[in-house]
Amino acid sequence: MLSIRDVSITYGKNPTPTVQGISLEMKQGEIVSIVGESGSGKSTVIRAVLGCLPGGGYVSSGDIQFEGKSLLGYSKEEWRNLRGTEISMIFQDSGAMINPIRRIGSQYVEYIRTHEKMSKKDAWNRGVEMLERMRLPNGDNIMRSYPFQLSGGMRQRVGIAMAMTFQPKLLLGDEPTSALDVTTQAQIVRQMMALRDQYNTSIIVVTHNLGVAAYMADKILVMKEGRVVDAGTRDEILNHPSSAYTENLLASVPSIGGERFV
Amino acid sequence: MSETRELILEAKHVTKKYPASNGRTLVANNDVSLNIYRGRTLGIVGESGCGKSTFMRMLVSLEAPTEGEILYHGRDITKLKGEALRQHRQHIQMVFQDPAAAFNPKMRIRDIICEPLLNFGRIKRSEKDEVARKYLEMVELPGDFALRYPHNMSGGQRQRVGIARALALEPEIILCDEATSALDVSVQKNIIELLVKLQREKDIALGFICHDMALVQSFAHQMAVMYLGNIVEVLPGERVGTGCVHPYTRAMLGAIFDPKMDFDKPIESIESEAPSPLDVPTGCPFQNRCDCCMEICRKEHPVLRQIEENHQVACHLYA
Repeated sequence: MLSIRDVSITYGKNPTPTVQGISLEMKQGEIVSIVGESGSGKSTVIRAVLGCLPGGGYVSSGDIQFEGKSLLGYSKEEWRNLRGTEISMIFQDSGAMINPIRRIGSQYVEYIRTHEKMSKKDAWNRGVEMLERMRLPNGDNIMRSYPFQLSGGMRQRVGIAMAMTFQPKLLLGDEPTSALDVTTQAQIVRQMMALRDQYNTSIIVVTHNLGVAAYMADKILVMKEGRVVDAGTRDEILNHPSSAYTENLLASVPSIGGERFV
Repeated sequence: MSETRELILEAKHVTKKYPASNGRTLVANNDVSLNIYRGRTLGIVGESGCGKSTFMRMLVSLEAPTEGEILYHGRDITKLKGEALRQHRQHIQMVFQDPAAAFNPKMRIRDIICEPLLNFGRIKRSEKDEVARKYLEMVELPGDFALRYPHNMSGGQRQRVGIARALALEPEIILCDEATSALDVSVQKNIIELLVKLQREKDIALGFICHDMALVQSFAHQMAVMYLGNIVEVLPGERVGTGCVHPYTRAMLGAIFDPKMDFDKPIESIESEAPSPLDVPTGCPFQNRCDCCMEICRKEHPVLRQIEENHQVACHLYA
């Protein structure tokens, strides 16, 4: 469904690409985690898939194909039709993605009506229904709230609900649980896993939390300094990592009943 | 274990209330009693907004408690004022979460490390270079870093400078507020190893706030779990995995993702979210999220009780 072939991404006039030689093949309903430390280029990869690289970033070589069509030559119009319907994204803090001085509902309705012709009332009801499906009780109430009136976990659920409105084939998550508390993180992870079961959505999740990455993923990509140092199924990466870097990374994760320093 | 150690800092029934809008009060800390022993680590875990940072701010005298007292070597420090308070600050130092925001960006590392020493007249200006190098080496950074500016360093290096600055006055206690949360996991491990090594060499007491229970239990001698301003469980770090009993601690434990976990088992987590600290229910603060909630939990606030050596729980199940 999605195929990233030997992609390099360059920012501005930088002579060396920031991300080099990334390849990934994805089937429908598959979950892929990209892990790595900050600055390793993991977010850059999924931003390229959505065609929204910041600050003069562009794909300098390679090809990204979605359902057999190359995304690189897309016009602005084509991108607008694709984003938010076929491919959508959840950010680290969905609260920051939503306009703070407008109510959730007004933005949700605008978003739905941008992509589909329907009355405001129908769009509102569609929004409420999606919110309630994402286990947000009393969706009507939430539509009438401002972002700051919701907790971090609720805002993240609103973000997921919006992203899932048009049942995208591919969902991209940029650190979707990193700003959340552990119990909320577990709820959101479970919810994202349920999306695959219900809608057969493919998910790429970028995270620095190896535990979350391992729990969710069928396949894992480990990145370091703009390159993939390790790629394979979950079992391969966790039990037989091919690079010393991955091994070291796994050993650094504190675990209950694991290594103690005192 | 801890009994043989000298008690340095003792928080006794500390309560902190803030006034809120519409005449309500926000209880950030409710009757918190914790001890810090020489050369030992006290870890405090809890979700955001549970009052762990407020508690630490009171320990370093940045806030005064509404009720209760904090005893440093038997002397109440909450009543200190003026010069006495300034002199006292030498004994308890702090390391902050974001090392980029904790320094003046226009000061060189040398000046950052030596500022506290100069403030207390412990060194002369001419000794700055030499002293800065000594402390940089102590935190395993090259001495040449003395002339750098904070923006010329990575996050992990900056956090080491933060530790060096806290060490400079040779305090008895260092309090770390999420000191590793902004760092990558491999860097986090190095910082923890450094802290533990320094603790051993200098017999420093550490207070460590964190939301990552797996991390805290790996090096804390004693771990306290906070929920909505209340301490719900206190137990030794090494017993967390097997011995914790409070439903909240167990829920946090069940929600931890670990690459070594059994992936076939679905992750356990409580469904609901914590209530607002502005309307904590009467009775047990955890009642509306607890699986084992009983009649008594809705009426009576559970108190912290000793259930075995070094292990206290505030839960009606273990009353």
